[in-house]
Amino acid sequence: MKTSNQPIKENGVITKKDLKTMFWRSLPMEFSWHYERQMHMGFCTMVSQGLKKIYKDDEEGLKEALQRNLEFFNITAHVSPFVGGITLAMEEMNAQQDDFDTSSINAVKAALMGPLSGIGDSLLLGTLRILAVGIGASLSATGNILGPILFLLIFNVPAFALRYLCAMKGYKLGANYLEKIQSSGLMEKFMFAAGILGTMVIGGMTNELVSVTTLLQIGSGESATLIQGVLDGILPGMLSLVVMGIYYYLMNKKVNVMWLLIGTAILGIVCAQFGILG
Amino acid sequence: MLQALLLGCIAFIGKCDLATGTNLIQRPIVLGPLVGLVLGDLKLGVEVGAALELAFLGQYSVGAFIPPNVIVGGVLGTAFAITTGGGAEIAFTMAFPIALLAQAIDNVLFSVVRPMMGTLADKFAAKGNVKAITMIHMGTGFITCTVLFLITFFGFWLGSSQMQAIVDAIPAVVTSGLTIACGILPAMGFAMLARMIMNKKVAPFFFLGFLLSSYFRVPVVGIAFLGVIAALIKIDFTSNNQVTVQGGMDDEDF
Repeated sequence: MKTSNQPIKENGVITKKDLKTMFWRSLPMEFSWHYERQMHMGFCTMVSQGLKKIYKDDEEGLKEALQRNLEFFNITAHVSPFVGGITLAMEEMNAQQDDFDTSSINAVKAALMGPLSGIGDSLLLGTLRILAVGIGASLSATGNILGPILFLLIFNVPAFALRYLCAMKGYKLGANYLEKIQSSGLMEKFMFAAGILGTMVIGGMTNELVSVTTLLQIGSGESATLIQGVLDGILPGMLSLVVMGIYYYLMNKKVNVMWLLIGTAILGIVCAQFGILG
Repeated sequence: MLQALLLGCIAFIGKCDLATGTNLIQRPIVLGPLVGLVLGDLKLGVEVGAALELAFLGQYSVGAFIPPNVIVGGVLGTAFAITTGGGAEIAFTMAFPIALLAQAIDNVLFSVVRPMMGTLADKFAAKGNVKAITMIHMGTGFITCTVLFLITFFGFWLGSSQMQAIVDAIPAVVTSGLTIACGILPAMGFAMLARMIMNKKVAPFFFLGFLLSSYFRVPVVGIAFLGVIAALIKIDFTSNNQVTVQGGMDDEDF
């Protein structure tokens, strides 16, 4: 049984405590985001304490490492400590080996950004966040204060657990093992699974949270038939599906989101004026 | 005045979302109730927050996409909805223009001010100063928090008294039209998300989710659980092959 103050690797310096430090320092990852290098300051802040330890007796090494880790970085913030851990593992190797190719550190970082963001965005921002909104908003809509509380819990309990796991596992897995995952196709499978889950939830949400009702009727007076009733008999929520399909189509046609918003507002007003929707 | 200060503080705290692990406290569903608390109508704050959350569902920063600023828009939108008694429709009509204004200011910060802070951090990195890099990183974030505080403060301080007049001048057909638009708008958020994560291979699952909800009234959580099972049926995690496509669910497709 190792204590948290013993190095994880036999000839290394990084301890479990250092990884916990990295976890805490990863929290403001997005705080200074900007267009040019995006999360670079956040990333450097996250790994800086680890770097200080690795290059304790090598001032020049520390300077180089800090500059190296101020390069472009962007990722789903919650999985960032995973890359931080791998970076520390590689920096540690660099400090020990004279012939280590330092450019590989940023190459590995760059290679990880895409796939990890793909998983992170669809899992956390696409699926978990939407799930949290769905449950939170349906409670909040009735003025229930549990709405926002559940919203935060549903998102943050898994999100923080994942972040902690990433901080602990990244270093241990190291760069080599990740290559194995990628070549074995497991990464692709995982992204596919996240895609299935995410799209199914979006489908359910489209029916549950979009509300479009038509007031149009066939005939008049007592014998009038409401078209909405007919539509519900065929497929409940049909209009929601149609509306979502139209947006999807228009966005694929690269119609600006601003125009879609303005168009929606105008459409709403026109439909209210003529009693088409209600 | 005190209320304007407190609302400014809510915007400041909201932006600290990104300092504390991107935990979504910046969303209208969370900030709405806080605004309600400050203005003495918690219940309405919760309700308006939820309505704005759905309307702004797609306005979430993913990758390098900077959406309209939901913090300032959400706080002021909710605040004016409560002070004018106009409810969710007013919140949205107010929130969107304000969010766009704040987004423009965001873009100035993100494209000019913050990259300059980045070069400052480079200088300290060359000196091996770890502490200074952390300070610059956090300072850069807090500058933005302060800017949002100021916009919210002045927005409420200047605007609240005149808002009633503006709201009264809006014809009823516009308000009810915007209510309709508010009902439709979440579909736009879902379309955006679908474009982000949906491809030909998973498209049938969108309809599976939709039909489970529309015909069978399965709640979203239930659909998520079924989604996990669908993924397990569809994807063979145990073998080492690349993704294989099997036809397990095809009878549910349209």
